[in-house]
Amino acid sequence: MSAIAIPHPPLAPKRGLSTWQTWGLILLAPYVLVFLVFVLYPVSYGLWLARHPESYKTLFEDPVFFTTVINTIFFLLVAVNLKFILALYLSGFFVHERRWIRWLSVIFIIPWAVPAIPTVYSIRFMLNPEWGVVNSLLFRWFQIDGPNWLTDPQLAMAMAMLVHIWKALPFWTLILMAGRLAIPKELYEAASVDGASAWQKFKYVTWPSMRTLYVTSTLLSLIWTLGDFNSVYLLTGGQPADKTHVLATLGIRYIRLDQLDHAMATIVVALPFVLPMVYFMMKRLSGDEQKTS
Amino acid sequence: MASVSFSQIQKSFGKTPVLHGISLDIADGEFMVLVGPSGCGKSTLLRMLAGLEDITAGSIAIDGRVVNELDSKDRDIAMVFQSYALYPHMTVRENMGFSLRLREEKRNLIEERVAAAAKILNLGPYLDRYPRELSGGQRQRVAMGRAIVRDPKVFLFDEPLSNLDAKLRVAMRSEIKALHQRLKTTTVYVTHDQVEAMTMADRIAVMNEGRIEQLGRPLELYDRPANLFVAQFIGSPAMNVFDGAVKGGAVEALGARWPASFSKSGGLEGQRVKYGVRPEHLEPASSGIAAEIVVVEPMGAETELVVKVGDTSLIVMTRGRSTAGPGDRIFLAPDPAHAHLFDAASGLRI
Ligand SMILES: Nc1ncnc2c1ncn2[C@@H]1O[C@H](COP(=O)(O)OP(=O)(O)OP(=O)(O)O)[C@@H](O)[C@H]1O
Ligand SMILES: [Mg+2]
Repeated sequence: MSAIAIPHPPLAPKRGLSTWQTWGLILLAPYVLVFLVFVLYPVSYGLWLARHPESYKTLFEDPVFFTTVINTIFFLLVAVNLKFILALYLSGFFVHERRWIRWLSVIFIIPWAVPAIPTVYSIRFMLNPEWGVVNSLLFRWFQIDGPNWLTDPQLAMAMAMLVHIWKALPFWTLILMAGRLAIPKELYEAASVDGASAWQKFKYVTWPSMRTLYVTSTLLSLIWTLGDFNSVYLLTGGQPADKTHVLATLGIRYIRLDQLDHAMATIVVALPFVLPMVYFMMKRLSGDEQKTS
Repeated sequence: MASVSFSQIQKSFGKTPVLHGISLDIADGEFMVLVGPSGCGKSTLLRMLAGLEDITAGSIAIDGRVVNELDSKDRDIAMVFQSYALYPHMTVRENMGFSLRLREEKRNLIEERVAAAAKILNLGPYLDRYPRELSGGQRQRVAMGRAIVRDPKVFLFDEPLSNLDAKLRVAMRSEIKALHQRLKTTTVYVTHDQVEAMTMADRIAVMNEGRIEQLGRPLELYDRPANLFVAQFIGSPAMNVFDGAVKGGAVEALGARWPASFSKSGGLEGQRVKYGVRPEHLEPASSGIAAEIVVVEPMGAETELVVKVGDTSLIVMTRGRSTAGPGDRIFLAPDPAHAHLFDAASGLRI
């Protein structure tokens, strides 16, 4: 970082703060205020609610909690990685400079741009085993009874992941596209002349340039996906038999059961996952970048 | 090592034609320079040879084999890019050995070749550095090193020196030339700098607007430019050119008679022509065409004078130093053997 030369105003005589410093404090105040009101206060209040050890005892003894933790880990590992592999692949397709690909990319963005609640609900209706459009079509075209998409726990989880990927894929594809577009075209040309195949160009040119972005985005997505409430709750509501909850939806279940302290406890339980990821990511964003770029 | 042959090459980007039928044969071991103003299509032609652009029409052959349908990677060429295009995540050593590694050569052979190239290019101390840790000139040498370790059939250079400062450019110019004399690999070198072209080339192809204006050895182009474009493009400072008419074995122009030797005797009387004479062939003399000095630019070994004949400014180059100052009158005595005549309409040499 190079120092930025800020012209210093003439120093006021030593009498409390200089005008420069006073202005600094005045301009800083709104940020501090926002932080106190919207971050520090609610977080402390939540921790305060979740302070009783008994909350955790009952939480850990609740069989739903155990299933939820497994679901969450599974959801994170599978959905996030699948999403990123797809995004990495698709970003390579969408960076091609063809007019029809431009148009296709606009259509491709839509799932990300539309509001979540109506779309996830409509998917839910489409997947209804009795009158949903999916099973109706399956029956009409192939004369087969479609599966119980949302009432089989495993299938319902898979569908929730699918919804999550469908919804978040465009965004991450765009991010990875930006990463690909930042790679100079000559590097690929040099690699062609050097004798590289398409796969070797990916391995030696694309991936080394994208690695940092890819890993950082994956981390960020892990954090966001941990908080993704819509894909699961709107699709399955945690049903059947509370078997498809993830940590994000479990809190709501406890709030509905009027157990606010349990709801808070689920969030606290997630912290040991989240905080290391946040820390790791901030570290990558601040320090490591220079080494790999 | 190989010969290269372009025949009737055309190129369009979309509907815009850029190259209009270029034919050019480059001999085995030759150093061919493509020179021309910006946008004339030099890079495009080079990139077509490299397999980085499709060929709209015509064919390109390397060593007698048509390569139109061949991928870059199968053409056995090496290219040095203007931006160098070094792989940022690889060390100098890895950059230079990359093509051999892709060919799955033995590790010690790669080591050996890289070490040999590093020695030629004085890159030894930098082998374990990353490109971002090198100066522009060092990067340029790595880019060349990457090309020479491969021992390719043809070297391609696209303005490899244009990102360097003037002094380094001159130094690298001789390095590249020395390298070529040592390796004798067929080379196609693109530049818009005519001095680079003159000093480095075995032969030069002067390009303009997608065509080759003239092809020849550097001094051939200098002494007998085929048309006005080449006359004014080659040589620095540029040739003086002005309108005139042939009258009685000389050219009347700017209110004076300019001597010329006519290769085509007769039939020219009265014809409108362009008279061209290089600044160094306009040495001041004790008598001749009167001119008034406007500016004196001493450069040490020689002096450049801007003079006026009538209302037209001409550039005069004199050997040694001049005691004359602005406002002085001098006489110019052009040597008829060094006068160039061009058809006023077509611009072709007469
Ligand atoms: N990818 C492209 N799409 C459309 N037009 C192009 C493309 N590449 C080059 N051109 C056009 O083709 C012409 C020749 O370009 P080229 O890059 O070969 O010029 P050049 O002689 O190398 O010039 P310079 O000295 O500036 O590098 C230019 O008019 C340019 O605008
Ligand atoms: Mg160019």
